[in-house]
Amino acid sequence: MDEARSAVRAARRSDLHALTDLRLHFLGEAAHADARLRLMPDARDRTEHALPVWMGQADRVLLVGLDPAHDPQGPGADNAAPVAYAMGLLGAVPPVLAAQHVGEILEVHVDPAHRGKGLGDALVAILGEALIGRGAQVLRAAVPSTHEFARARLERAGFAPLQLELERSLDAG
Amino acid sequence: MEGIPIRHARRGDIPSLLLLWGAMMEEFAALDPRFAAHPLAREHMAATFASWLQDPARLVVVAEEGGRMVVGFAAGVVLQGNGWQIPARLGRITDAYVARPRRRLGIARRLAGRLLDLLYEKGVGTVRLAAAVQNEGALAFWQSMGWSDLETVLERAVPVEGRDPEA
Repeated sequence: MDEARSAVRAARRSDLHALTDLRLHFLGEAAHADARLRLMPDARDRTEHALPVWMGQADRVLLVGLDPAHDPQGPGADNAAPVAYAMGLLGAVPPVLAAQHVGEILEVHVDPAHRGKGLGDALVAILGEALIGRGAQVLRAAVPSTHEFARARLERAGFAPLQLELERSLDAG
Repeated sequence: MEGIPIRHARRGDIPSLLLLWGAMMEEFAALDPRFAAHPLAREHMAATFASWLQDPARLVVVAEEGGRMVVGFAAGVVLQGNGWQIPARLGRITDAYVARPRRRLGIARRLAGRLLDLLYEKGVGTVRLAAAVQNEGALAFWQSMGWSDLETVLERAVPVEGRDPEA
């Protein structure tokens, strides 16, 4: 995990192009596994416009992961393209449940060619630490029901199931 | 059962809605302590119910017994999608509860059905809701009405010593 942790850093403006691709891949995987999560036609445009805004938000954390096989201090490390990313958000919710400062782990994605190297676990760990550092009283994450690997990753990080999100189409009667 | 009407909630129902909502939260907390209510929750919900009854995007329906006693309620909202995934617009059932002594009479099914009809009339084709994983009765109820799993929400508590005291 240490090697993978050292391959994680905060996202930069120079990562925007790679981040857009990674995010579209992340969303596309969910859509492929469950058609109810298929993409809007302009999802890429929206992502391209949203990412620079998100990078400037104090309550949002955007991390990237580099290939852990490459020396993060070595030559060319500054120009290495991200192969993974994670995004989280600290939200203040109304006083209904005890915790009002909720750190949401919104998205975690590792390029398929770089899976199995601990990057996903490292991203979840560092993102959680960043959200807690901003005041999160609890961490939450929603994963598609079809993504058992994503659920397993969160459970390794100490998360436990809280709720199921259910859906029903009214058009089908 | 046919005798218990389902109608839109009115301002005068707020005390009953609060009682039912409080009972619902106590049941949730008994199943899973992570659902324990905030000390200010009741006060917050009194204002929230009042605002919901004024909000055209919100729907609150109640089951009224004997023309005067509210024994269950369901609430929903029409929302915009997240912008990345379909649908562009969706409905959400935020709350649904029937007082324990009035269960197994089909009231919840009628409340949910009425709420879904109203959401459909507002142009919604997809509706979502969240149910606690520990609440097997609720999950079985919704699944029996054609609902299916979309996502799992997971949570991790943060020890007090791990938090930033300045945040």
